[in-house]
Amino acid sequence: MIDVQNLTKTYPTKSEPGAVHAVRAISFAVAPGEVFGLLGPNGAGKSTTIGMLTTTIEPTGGRASLAGHDVSTEPIAARRASAVVFQDPAVDLALSGRRNLAVHAQLWGLDSTTADLRIADVVDAFGLDELIDRDVSTYSGGQRRRLEIARALLSRPQVLFLDEPTVGLDPRIRFELLDVIAGLRDRGDMTILLTTHYLDEAERLCDRVAIMHRGDIVALDSPTALLAALGREILEVRVRGGADTTLRRLQQLGLAGADAFSVGTTVTVPLHDGDARTAADRVVDARIEHVGLNTRAPNLDDVYLRLTGSSLAA
Amino acid sequence: MTAITTTRPSSARIATARPRTNHLTALRTLTLRRFALSARTPREILVPLLTPILFANVIAPALAKSTGAFGGIDYTAFVAIGTVGLLVPLSCILAGVGLIVDRENGAQRDLLAAPVPRSLLVLGNLIVAVCIASLQVVALIGAAVLRGSTFSVSASGLAWFLLATIGIAIAMHSAAEILAARVPKQEEYVGVAPAVALVPWFFAGSFFRINAMPAGLTVFAKVMPLTHALALMRYAMVDHRAAGLHDIWGAHSTTMMAAASLAVVFAFAGLMLFLANRVFARSAMR
Repeated sequence: MIDVQNLTKTYPTKSEPGAVHAVRAISFAVAPGEVFGLLGPNGAGKSTTIGMLTTTIEPTGGRASLAGHDVSTEPIAARRASAVVFQDPAVDLALSGRRNLAVHAQLWGLDSTTADLRIADVVDAFGLDELIDRDVSTYSGGQRRRLEIARALLSRPQVLFLDEPTVGLDPRIRFELLDVIAGLRDRGDMTILLTTHYLDEAERLCDRVAIMHRGDIVALDSPTALLAALGREILEVRVRGGADTTLRRLQQLGLAGADAFSVGTTVTVPLHDGDARTAADRVVDARIEHVGLNTRAPNLDDVYLRLTGSSLAA
Repeated sequence: MTAITTTRPSSARIATARPRTNHLTALRTLTLRRFALSARTPREILVPLLTPILFANVIAPALAKSTGAFGGIDYTAFVAIGTVGLLVPLSCILAGVGLIVDRENGAQRDLLAAPVPRSLLVLGNLIVAVCIASLQVVALIGAAVLRGSTFSVSASGLAWFLLATIGIAIAMHSAAEILAARVPKQEEYVGVAPAVALVPWFFAGSFFRINAMPAGLTVFAKVMPLTHALALMRYAMVDHRAAGLHDIWGAHSTTMMAAASLAVVFAFAGLMLFLANRVFARSAMR
């Protein structure tokens, strides 16, 4: 459904043409009905990638297609197959929620009868009944975001782009929205590309995730497979000063493998099939200076930090 | 590093019957949306009216009284038409604030993701700007009539007047689109906009015939589309001898001169609209 081949975006700079590589020849494919996550911090290239797929950013290299339509040569057909929920609100605040939905429905080619029916459907599904005829300027952030998701679903897009859909929302509303997105995923009739820097969202919602760092995809797999690479448990060694020295020492002593990494004052050691208790005892026995030791199950934070940490060190 | 795995789907198009958007329907939708947004901010409609109405109804009668006869035509009507050259640019340029609001806090990004040509967004905004400017011109002329100005209107005169008004409104709204696409913030736009709207008006013979200015400025005035528009409007509504058109062209056939001035206005409007579409498309595609 989404096919991306060597997609590249380079922004020229005044002093050095072609110097800013926002996206570096990335490739991936998303199957129909799949929920695919682009994961990474600000500046990783996620929003630029979505911008190219939604035809608001012009690629400088490679190609991408949505539902078989090339985004560069058939942009209108590609847009017809998709809808976007933007990171920042993109609604007319001075108009009612209903008017916002109607404008979207008409632009996506729905006749008035179908539009009215679908608006009634999404208003009901997203609990917007009491809000829908009020000006959007009176909505809370969460209500506005629900309206935007409802709007994106009106055309029943084959591909739905969700760009950081929960950013800036309070925890309760964020949780509600994750439920909504999970509901969309369970319907299985829509391909969803989601960008986020919340790793728990990716873990909960995505069939596969691509971890982006400085415009590159540094890993792409299912969350389960990415976590499996770290084993069942990890050991965290917290030290007082910089953790790099401790990491090197642990590696020299064979207590940590090449995939161990340090961030700030913490060394994280994937244990793979090792026993957590034994690993902690060995750190103590080796007289490694530390202020705390603990073990826990790995999460996508660890995957991300391991991958980008090594890149930063290189 | 985790191995990158990709599954390449079939390159064949996924069979779907998705509704196509009729361009006229899309234009209607975008135009009605812009109308609704403008109606919610009536100050955008009322504020540009204030200065021209004061000019036409306070300053012009006072000047007419001070200066006496003005080439056998009603000076207050002459100035009322001159203030159309202030009203239309002001109204269209100030509408550009709404375009920046649309981009910064409105639904523009969703509209850019819609399966319609992006030039329809510019066209929808333009239609509303032209309609609002036309309504304001009617209000201005109506106020002048109530104050005692005398206009002489024929069907063909009305057509010349409307075409000149529409032409200058297209040009100025296009200028607003270009400016709004180039200027990042509302504050900066508000700083620049009056200069774009007002400066041409001072040289276009708004209160006087252009040959009353120094020779160099007269030459400059003759190439300005606003001068052509005002001369054409006066020919249509006030001065059937076409003194203004004669000052520009120096020819004998008033119809030929009127057609030539209208061509100048529409050539300028066409160029500005082309540039507005181009700049908007470029600013929409980063």
